[in-house]
Amino acid sequence: MSDKGDVDLTGAKQNTGVWLVKVPKYLSQQWAKSSGRGEVGKLRISKQQGKAEVSFTLNEELTTIDGIGEKAALVRAPREHPFTMQTVGGQTLAVFTESSSGETWQLGTPVGYKIALEGVVVQRAECRPAVSDNYMRLKRLQIEESSKPVRYSQQLEKPVTTNYKPVANHANNLEYDKKKKEEGKRARADKQQVLDMLFSAFEKHQYYNIKDLVDITKQPVIYLKEILRDIGTYNVKGTHKNTWELRPEYRHYQGEEKSE
Amino acid sequence: MASLVRIGGGGSSATEYVVRVPKNTAKKYSIMAFNAGDKVNCSTWTQARMERDMSNRRMYAEEEATEGAAGSEFGKKQREEARRKKYGIITREFKAEDQPWILKVNGKAGKRFKGQKKGGVTENASYYIFTQCPDGAFEAFPVHGWYNFTPQAKHRTLTAEEAEEEWGRRNKVVNHFSIMVQRRFREPERGDDEEEEGEKGGKKKKKGGRGGDLRIHDLEDDLEMSSDDSDSSMGEDGEGKSKKKKGSKRNAAEDSDDGDFEGVEVDYMSDDTSSEEDEPEKVKPSKTEDVPKGVDEMSDSEEESEEEKQNEEETKEEEEEEEGKKTPVHMEKKKKKGEKDSSGESDTSDDSDIEGEAASALFMKKRTPPKRGGGRGSTGSSRTGSRPGTPSIDSGSTSNTLRAAANKLEQSKRQMPPVSSETPAAKRLKMEPSPQSPQPSGKSTPQPASGKSTPSSSDVQLTEEAVRRYLIRKPMTTKDLLKKFQTKRTGLSSDQTVNVLAQILKRLNPERKNINDKMHFYLTE
Repeated sequence: MSDKGDVDLTGAKQNTGVWLVKVPKYLSQQWAKSSGRGEVGKLRISKQQGKAEVSFTLNEELTTIDGIGEKAALVRAPREHPFTMQTVGGQTLAVFTESSSGETWQLGTPVGYKIALEGVVVQRAECRPAVSDNYMRLKRLQIEESSKPVRYSQQLEKPVTTNYKPVANHANNLEYDKKKKEEGKRARADKQQVLDMLFSAFEKHQYYNIKDLVDITKQPVIYLKEILRDIGTYNVKGTHKNTWELRPEYRHYQGEEKSE
Repeated sequence: MASLVRIGGGGSSATEYVVRVPKNTAKKYSIMAFNAGDKVNCSTWTQARMERDMSNRRMYAEEEATEGAAGSEFGKKQREEARRKKYGIITREFKAEDQPWILKVNGKAGKRFKGQKKGGVTENASYYIFTQCPDGAFEAFPVHGWYNFTPQAKHRTLTAEEAEEEWGRRNKVVNHFSIMVQRRFREPERGDDEEEEGEKGGKKKKKGGRGGDLRIHDLEDDLEMSSDDSDSSMGEDGEGKSKKKKGSKRNAAEDSDDGDFEGVEVDYMSDDTSSEEDEPEKVKPSKTEDVPKGVDEMSDSEEESEEEKQNEEETKEEEEEEEGKKTPVHMEKKKKKGEKDSSGESDTSDDSDIEGEAASALFMKKRTPPKRGGGRGSTGSSRTGSRPGTPSIDSGSTSNTLRAAANKLEQSKRQMPPVSSETPAAKRLKMEPSPQSPQPSGKSTPQPASGKSTPSSSDVQLTEEAVRRYLIRKPMTTKDLLKKFQTKRTGLSSDQTVNVLAQILKRLNPERKNINDKMHFYLTE
């Protein structure tokens, strides 16, 4: 089994020659609509007075354009497309493929991933539509579509009244009040218990906001602050602003290498 | 259905082919574009590997500073997220699809290419690859990506700082080859003495020539004189030159100490020699620079000795020429000692004694007394002579005239081979008390142990037990260990010491720790 990094060089060795053809967008869209075996048209290569002439003829059924608006139905894609042949130039253009048999990904590349060198580009070409009225209309349609702004303003006849109706008390608020009532005021628990809770909390994180601590311990703020003053310090400056942390003597963090 | 139709008529022949656009192919086609100038021929590739370059993944990965108790805050992540949303910061995701490719052709020794994705290819027009099928029809595959592949340089390049340096010297430097050679030498100073040595040995002559070339352009003018002189008098100075060049290059980085000592007033013990001194002076610092670094690597003991040997030659020559010149010795000592105890003293103390000692220490074992005795002309040889207490092997031979120096050089050359290089030992023995050799006539100041506390005079055997004791007590570098087992005490030559110590260390297999960029060994019992 070949390693996934290996490149299959059969194409390169055979020096398979391929053509690189630049195709207009609308044409590639039409090709995407092809059915069956994927036949899209015919390519005619003729040699006239020593020069090769290549032209592509689009299949009839693929000339209909799907577009929005009434105009689309009238316009059809042109059928004749002569190819403009160009040389590759000094550049070496190779074609490689990535194929994945399966969709499992591992370390950034799918498993069963294969890279193969298919061949080298020997000819470059540009597919141009034969200029015709049809084509002009098509282009016009395209331009119109693309020039439409993404956002547009629309006038409303009636004002929107479906949201923001006045309410006696919002559902949200009701819930909140109920919750509060249930909970009741925070009661002062045993100091030892609170300390235990605090220590276990500080085991997880080093810095805590007073609000978070109140939330965790469910103690009234003043009481909690008193206890904290005993065992902790308040960071006023630095990165951990306005946070409480345990006093060094109570700390036992691995990373700090401090011990009681 | 015929996929190929021949249409004739009208003097032109045409063939029609069916074009198919296959659907649902698992393969994704991409273009691999090479630059015209690279002249890449894919058919010559025997083997190729290609992978995505994932090195940018870290950039996009969220920074997880500290998870867990220490240093973390409660709800930090949520707060960070809320903050990002508030400010509208959008971090771009790391898309594996857009990462560059790394292509390696023909294995490790072959070429390397980096393929970067070209943007905007599929936006307005689509590229299709037309391949001809065996049945004559064309199949068109859309191109998903275009990657521009550029070859990656395998040769070493200069960093920005180095490039700036070289730019400043561009008018002076004629020999550009040496720039990279120098750099290579400078880089792995600790680990690659071997390479250095090999280079030195192999390219001695070449470098010598180049060194000379460079020297004339590179170093201060007053060296030009000496270069000519040295050319003639110092025969096998090839390495010397190269070393000097190297040293000077190194020094150049440190703003060229070489010139610093030019005008320094030094009291000469005897007749002073002028230009000759400069050159050896420079050579010495450069040489001695190599030496302490060499010593650090126990395993390179051989290189050390080799290096030392060469070093010795140079220093020897220098010694012969100049004598009371404190600065060169100063530098030599400075570099030789490296750091710690000795360097402290040597650096600060201007005691000619110490310097003398140091200088002479270099020559300690090199000069076998009997051989030296010969061509000594006048006394007062700077070599070891005037230095008090210098264990000069050539007792009494203290000629510091040019003639004598030249004589000595020739002698030393003759005697070099048999003498095993013992500079490591010599260096260590800088404080060596005079028992080594009688005092030369020149100076009479007794040579104290150069202020450095001499190790106990009792013999210390180089045993595994002793090494183990040291290593258990505290982590030590190889240099430290060598200092402990000074050749005077153990009675072994420096070479032997190094070898035995290396074996012992192999047996003990101590643990390694890097302190202050130095490799220390230590044992835990």
